[in-house]
Amino acid sequence: MASIREQFEIPGKLKTWSYALIGVGVLAFILGLVTKGIGGNEHDHNVFIGTLMYNSIFFTLICNASMFFICATTLAMGGWQVVFRRIPEAISTMVPIFGSITFVILLYIIGSHNHHIYHWLSEEAKSDPVLKGKLGFLNPTFYITWSVLTIGLWSVLGARIRKLSSEADDAITMNGEAGQSFIWRNTVSAALFIVWFALTVGSTVPWLWMMSIDAHWYSTMYSWYTFASSFVSGMSLIALWVVYLKNKGYLEYANEEHLHDIGKFMFAFSIFWTYLWFSQYMLIWYANIPEETIYFKHRVQGPYRGLFFLNIILNFVCPILILMKRGAKRNYTLITFMSVLIIFGHWVDFYQMVMGSISKEEVTLGWLDFGIAALFVGLMIFFVAKALAKKPLMPKYHPFLKESIIHHT
Amino acid sequence: MHLKYESQLREPLVSGNKDYHQVSEDICRPIEVKPTKLWYVGFFIAITFLCFGVYCVYREVTYGIGQWNLNKTIGWGWDITNFVWWVGIGHAGTLISAILLLFRQGWRTGVNRAAEAMTIFAVMCAGQFPVFHMGRVWMAFFVLPYPNTRGPLWPNFNSPLLWDVFAISTYLTVSLLFWYSGLLPDFATVRDRAKTKLRKMLYGVAAFGWTGSTKHWQRHESLSLVLAGLSTPLVLSVHTIVSFDFATSVIPGWHTTIFPPYFVAGAVFSGFAMVQTLMLMLRKVFLLEDYITMGHIEAMNKVIVLTGSIVGVAYLTELFMGWYSQNKFEGYTFWYSRANLFSPYGWSYWGMMACNVISPQIFWFRKLRRNIYVTFFMSIIVNIGMWFERFVIIVTSLYRDYLPSSWSPYYSPTIWEMGFYLGTFGLFFTCFFLFAKYFPVIAIAEIKAVLKTSGENFKETVGKEEEMQPETFAHEYAHAH
Repeated sequence: MASIREQFEIPGKLKTWSYALIGVGVLAFILGLVTKGIGGNEHDHNVFIGTLMYNSIFFTLICNASMFFICATTLAMGGWQVVFRRIPEAISTMVPIFGSITFVILLYIIGSHNHHIYHWLSEEAKSDPVLKGKLGFLNPTFYITWSVLTIGLWSVLGARIRKLSSEADDAITMNGEAGQSFIWRNTVSAALFIVWFALTVGSTVPWLWMMSIDAHWYSTMYSWYTFASSFVSGMSLIALWVVYLKNKGYLEYANEEHLHDIGKFMFAFSIFWTYLWFSQYMLIWYANIPEETIYFKHRVQGPYRGLFFLNIILNFVCPILILMKRGAKRNYTLITFMSVLIIFGHWVDFYQMVMGSISKEEVTLGWLDFGIAALFVGLMIFFVAKALAKKPLMPKYHPFLKESIIHHT
Repeated sequence: MHLKYESQLREPLVSGNKDYHQVSEDICRPIEVKPTKLWYVGFFIAITFLCFGVYCVYREVTYGIGQWNLNKTIGWGWDITNFVWWVGIGHAGTLISAILLLFRQGWRTGVNRAAEAMTIFAVMCAGQFPVFHMGRVWMAFFVLPYPNTRGPLWPNFNSPLLWDVFAISTYLTVSLLFWYSGLLPDFATVRDRAKTKLRKMLYGVAAFGWTGSTKHWQRHESLSLVLAGLSTPLVLSVHTIVSFDFATSVIPGWHTTIFPPYFVAGAVFSGFAMVQTLMLMLRKVFLLEDYITMGHIEAMNKVIVLTGSIVGVAYLTELFMGWYSQNKFEGYTFWYSRANLFSPYGWSYWGMMACNVISPQIFWFRKLRRNIYVTFFMSIIVNIGMWFERFVIIVTSLYRDYLPSSWSPYYSPTIWEMGFYLGTFGLFFTCFFLFAKYFPVIAIAEIKAVLKTSGENFKETVGKEEEMQPETFAHEYAHAH
């Protein structure tokens, strides 16, 4: 009976990589700040802020998707995910960090009255017949209050669930009543998180943070679409960490059976994203009402045309063709490749959602975007690795752990 | 060593001291004994409703659509409301068999057979409404795009109404195949137990000569998986396309992009409510409490509170956008025609909200989820609420359109319009009573498959694994990779 490696030790190479990425990111940030943020014209300034904005929102949401995954599987009484449950837990520790960064950026936009990004901040909005009617929702006070509540509660409720999970590390048996009570308390906490998640990611927050950039435009699907995009990327992020830890010789009990199921989530939610994408696009196209089609005008017929199709290729065509096969979902290399592709694909999706509205005339995708993304990836690697090293990699006495060990698809 | 292990914390899926033989006995019993008085009374009532429905349809076909209270403004009324309502109900069966299979929800085995049967009967009922709403029902075949002698007259492929024809007929076909292929081994069980020649022959034919050989099981398993794969997108596509009937238009209250997923969630919601209604009766009448346990009922109530809340978020999203869009027409529809309790149809909107969003929230409480009376009452409430939803969507959007001169007076259905609806209840329950009498209402073979992991008596014997340290357990049982 071999003992297992429960404690993650951060490899030097991983640290180096995270420092390098953070270095590149900081450099890009400084260069961007100098050339665009301060140095450039107004348009450059907005592009700079917009780049920070969509990156921070994207990375916050995909890390928060990990907590959503934990809560959804907890509520569904899932057992299969327990052996690797600590990975999404570690990823979700990023929510307060990335959430704060996002908040600072959003606060700056509001504080500086940047009405090129949020048109509803301008003086004209008060006399615009449509916008003035929306000011009850689109106003700095509500925006800031709601954002604080959102990020705050995500962080607090998430921390509560992670703390609860630590109880499963102690060598007390989790059978019988102790186990029942543990599952019960997990369920209650997960339910609280899910409800708050539905009221934020599932509805208000994407409207407030992103949809209101096109202040006149609206689509009831917008938030669910954003959720699908961030959840499928979140699953891919979990897959990447699972594969990484497996390759380093950790997570003995996780095997291709678990990977297969994560792969199924990646596949299914790629199709789900496409379903929502199609529903939103087709209904707007079919009805052909100018105030709705205007959102797609420069995305389909203007400079964003290339990205518009790239979005569909990366996020639909590739996943359906490559992940359809059973073997693909059980193959470490292919899952790694697809995870990177899907995260990149949805990053592009967020890019066009935000920048497609801020910079309508030209696509500015370039060194700054990749640099800022590198900053977030670097920070993510650094902090997630740290969080992983803090706790055993497996909740050893979780009542469903044994189901997870013998899990087969 | 391969181990069938399940945590002791999970409730058994089959309670009581059952072995394989006992399972066959319990489930086949209702087929093998004479029907009870209760069955005859129920069947007779169902047939009566069906006959009245047939008479109502006869009147509509003979005298025309004027038999109903539809008018130029409210061109869709009870008929399409009922259509969408039945289609929605017809979602639970395939969701249970296909999607819950993919999610490996063991409890589906207790309810899948009856839920699938219900699905098929519900879709059959749904189909009646658009067909007879055509008015000249003898022209119904025009919707089929076959090579014809009508020259350029060809179905309009741009119309979501035509997509419906394809979506629903495909759904019915695949659901039927899925249901029937699952029935094969169980028909064989009934055949093998038969005491009379006629019975043996009839069930023998129905079982397609099933012998239970390994080869048969192998093919059966792969067929099930293929059909599950095909059904999964169908569960979503049918109600998505039904939602397109509304959402592709520019009618305020209909043209909203969230419609497709929200319709699907609503359909699952109503489907589970109907499954709950039927299952609670079935387990009581046929003494199947050991197979459809409180655990099953609780699981379905969880689905109800989940989908009810998703639908709730969608309702509020729409209502919010009705204001946020600052579009006068959307605002009028949502805030005047619907959310205003004192507008002509305000009652239906609040009825919908109360039944679908507010009342299911009681299922956050475990005690109430596991209370049979509360569950039964709630299942009826949800069925009513989902009918209101479709009525709200259709009538409150149509009755006051862009042109005030064509606004409609208050719409209430004629007795024939209502009779048609009652008739579909007759059809539904006639089919269901026949099903309950002649078919195994629970999937015998599938129950046997979960018995050794999740049966109460088997779970009691697994104590050793529960006490093991994870390392020892893994060493003993985890398969090598």
